[in-house]
Amino acid sequence: MLKLGGVFTVLKNLLGRKKENQAPFSDLFVWFQNILKKNNAAMELIADMGGKMGGEFIFDKKYLSDNVKKLQELVRSSAYDLNYITDNQYLELYGVIEDLAKKLEIELSGKIVIPGAKRIYDLNEIEDGMEDLVGYKACNLSRILNLSEVKVPDSFAVTVGGFRDYMAYNNLFETIEGAVKEYSDEQKSVESVSNATQLRILGGEIPPELRRQILAAGERLSCGKPGSCYFAVRSSAVGEDGDLSFAGLHDSFLNVQFNELLSHYKKVLASLYNQASLEYRLRMNVLSLEMAMPVLYQKMIKSHVSGVLFTLDPNRPERAESLLSASLGLGKVVVEGQEGVDTFRISRNPPYPIVEQQIRSKSPMETPPEKDASQKGTGEPSGDPCLTSKEISAIMDVGLILERYFKRPLDVEWSMDEDGQLWILQARQLNMPRPKRMQHTKLKGATEGHRVLFKNRGMIAYRGIGAGPVWIVENDQDLNHFPRGGVLVSHFSPPWLAKVIPRATAIITDVGAVTGHMATVAREFRVPTIVGAEVATELLAPNQEVTVDTEKNIVYEGLIQELIHHQLLDVPSFETTREFQLLRRLLKKIAPLSLTDPADPGFTPRGCQTFHDVMRFVHEKAFQALVQAGKDSRSFLRRGGKRLKSHLPLDLVLIDIGGGLAEEVGKEMYVEPEKITSTPMKALWQGLSSPNVWNTEPIPVDFKGLMSSLTRTQSSELLGNALPSVNLAVLGSNYVNLSLPLGYHFTAVDAAIGSSPENNNISFRFVGGVTDITRRSRRATLLANILEKAGFKVKMNGDLVIARAINLSEEQMMHQLLLIGKLIGFARQLDVLMKNDEDVAYYFQKFREQLEKPVET
Amino acid sequence: MEKTTVCILDDEAIVGDRLKPELEDDGYEVEVFTDSASALTRVNETCFDIFITDLKMEGVDGMGFLERVKEKCPESEVIVITGYATMETARESLIKGAYDFIAKPFRIGEIKAAVKKAKKKARHRR
Repeated sequence: MLKLGGVFTVLKNLLGRKKENQAPFSDLFVWFQNILKKNNAAMELIADMGGKMGGEFIFDKKYLSDNVKKLQELVRSSAYDLNYITDNQYLELYGVIEDLAKKLEIELSGKIVIPGAKRIYDLNEIEDGMEDLVGYKACNLSRILNLSEVKVPDSFAVTVGGFRDYMAYNNLFETIEGAVKEYSDEQKSVESVSNATQLRILGGEIPPELRRQILAAGERLSCGKPGSCYFAVRSSAVGEDGDLSFAGLHDSFLNVQFNELLSHYKKVLASLYNQASLEYRLRMNVLSLEMAMPVLYQKMIKSHVSGVLFTLDPNRPERAESLLSASLGLGKVVVEGQEGVDTFRISRNPPYPIVEQQIRSKSPMETPPEKDASQKGTGEPSGDPCLTSKEISAIMDVGLILERYFKRPLDVEWSMDEDGQLWILQARQLNMPRPKRMQHTKLKGATEGHRVLFKNRGMIAYRGIGAGPVWIVENDQDLNHFPRGGVLVSHFSPPWLAKVIPRATAIITDVGAVTGHMATVAREFRVPTIVGAEVATELLAPNQEVTVDTEKNIVYEGLIQELIHHQLLDVPSFETTREFQLLRRLLKKIAPLSLTDPADPGFTPRGCQTFHDVMRFVHEKAFQALVQAGKDSRSFLRRGGKRLKSHLPLDLVLIDIGGGLAEEVGKEMYVEPEKITSTPMKALWQGLSSPNVWNTEPIPVDFKGLMSSLTRTQSSELLGNALPSVNLAVLGSNYVNLSLPLGYHFTAVDAAIGSSPENNNISFRFVGGVTDITRRSRRATLLANILEKAGFKVKMNGDLVIARAINLSEEQMMHQLLLIGKLIGFARQLDVLMKNDEDVAYYFQKFREQLEKPVET
Repeated sequence: MEKTTVCILDDEAIVGDRLKPELEDDGYEVEVFTDSASALTRVNETCFDIFITDLKMEGVDGMGFLERVKEKCPESEVIVITGYATMETARESLIKGAYDFIAKPFRIGEIKAAVKKAKKKARHRR
């Protein structure tokens, strides 16, 4: 909530601006409409680029640079428009845009952006393409952060730059180069070269600046209190876990204390030159000075049981089985292949039955030192398996999510803490004996005998192969029971399918666009997806097992293992191409939207992290400029605004920015609702004016409600920015922005609806009320529940509710707006009535009944 | 039956890299070039059944390549792909004998369908 000072600033801005510097009011409409147009064009470009992430298109670098250029122009000129109509209030935007543009241009030029002296990256700062900087291990883990269902311990990486600093500071480069040469020339044994080199490294000193940075990052990881946590310090050597595995060749250390962070840094660096590593490098012909060792620091998980999962048995890939080893405690025994380890051979198909298991007798757990004393006494050898079948299936679920994401069989190191939470410590490509690429003819043979259920239907949103039982989603209930590894089938492609996408092996919808939100999420999680297949819900039966090949756009009956293997083992993914990776990096700086709440203090030019943010910012501020230009309804009416004729207690002023009202309205001051031609406003009005929705009876405010109403100010403070003091609707043919400062609460709806779903969006905001915060929050909870149920993405904070719906078809969007219209009327005075928490459920039900009533057309 | 041969010429390597396995999967024999000089050398040795060429390239550009191919291998079909698609370039390439004209970026299915049609036509002509 804005403080009083903020209100004054807003008022001062409103009153104090010199008239001659403002754009003329009539011009404002034109400029605002221009901004809307540019906004739409930018959204279309972003959606188009997003659509190319699915692998169905062949695009080149020219496509990428052309689109980035077009976007830059749109964003720049929108910022110019905004500054024109606001008397240059947002000059800072230009700098922000140029910073973003520069980052994109650097990406396009092919240079990786490495901020000069940065030696330490938190995991979430690491981006694709930084493999050479922080190593594959750290890069892979940072990519896993994208998967909300998978947990990764807090971590940071010390870069190659840190390694070089260390080597240079201690004058080690030349000596080591000489020693390694002696080894490769066979002048000296591996043992003597390795020992001497490692000793030199261990004897070095960490440069002071690097030392400071490591300790500072360590402090951030240690929950603020050094000494309260333990660390794992792992090698993340360049090349390691990439094409070459180096598995286990370099050292990693567990249970490292804060005061050992620096000494273990050196130990991990030294392991770059241990005997096994040197021998392996010589054998693989990669023995050179390009050897470099980024180091990964991870917060230790207090693990109850841990181990390693191979998502596919490397020796018998055709059997569709995973190998899982587990031991009590930290899992070091599993990695190092010691005793006391249970091993399981598990079917990859849910519910993951165990095919074979070997249970060993176990000695006490290896735990962080602080626990040793208490554990040692109780650690009797035991012969029980260290995992329950439920835990095994949780590990399999996550392992297969990761495998689908990386599209390769994986070697996953995991740990389960005392609360049963599963953590992924590292994941790397599993080296498989490489069979020759399966030939076309052989693959064709594999699909023979499998009935083709349908082919060449709809559009491919993401290429790949997925197989599993069909699960048809018609409602929430279906969605809540969606099985892991199922094939998600739905008539529509609403964004709220997103929550089960990480669990799906493939997705088919009857209706939808490759540029829609659902398809975007499917690409994010790399789930093979067909949208607009028309016949899926009709031709596919629940629980029917199918194989979905979106490379060829064919859906087969049954599970075709050969096809699944073909994708996992043989096909180089389109995602490994340079252009694709470039597109992904560009989109990261273009597409995400982080500015969603205009009342948030971060809603500023500096808060814009992407081009999408900039467009959102410009749109919001342009709209504010428009409504601030009129002080009261008379001033709007004088300048061409109209009054809506209506039986509702709603003095609504309409401003037509083009195509929002029928032409015959002309200069008339009063407009019948039938004359509204704005598509979204029509739907909203239909909802607002439905019979019985709008409660016009005065509602008695009880004493408590009255007292708090006396101490509350009017709604102009509510959203942290200047609002119209009148009920105002700005209309375009496909656009509406409705602001209703009704009594003590404020409602705003901004919606664009047309025939292309990628441009369709609704945002809804509701805040305030006459009563105390408890009752206001009750009403907010009710609204949030209703909107969430209806498929909106909802954020709630106190009595503020923000809801968004995007990319639905025109028809669905209209339906959502109708609901919002009804909701505005329904919720108007509810905060007064909602005296108990139970009322939330009561009114939820009441609204549902309202919804089912037919609307007047 | 002998395999239908396809020659892909595009200075952006990604185009050949992605198209080659796709067309091979459909049973074509594919060769990829990223510069027109080496593609032309190869054309002097053999006529592919189908050519797929970009327009804007260093040296002999796609339009020049199209003309040379049509001269040397009148039986072959040429599909032009370009990121600079205008009515002008489309018309010009069709006048010069291109079989089809496809704007980049394109769907894999789209180019496969064009190749399939070109193959039928080439067969028919023989």
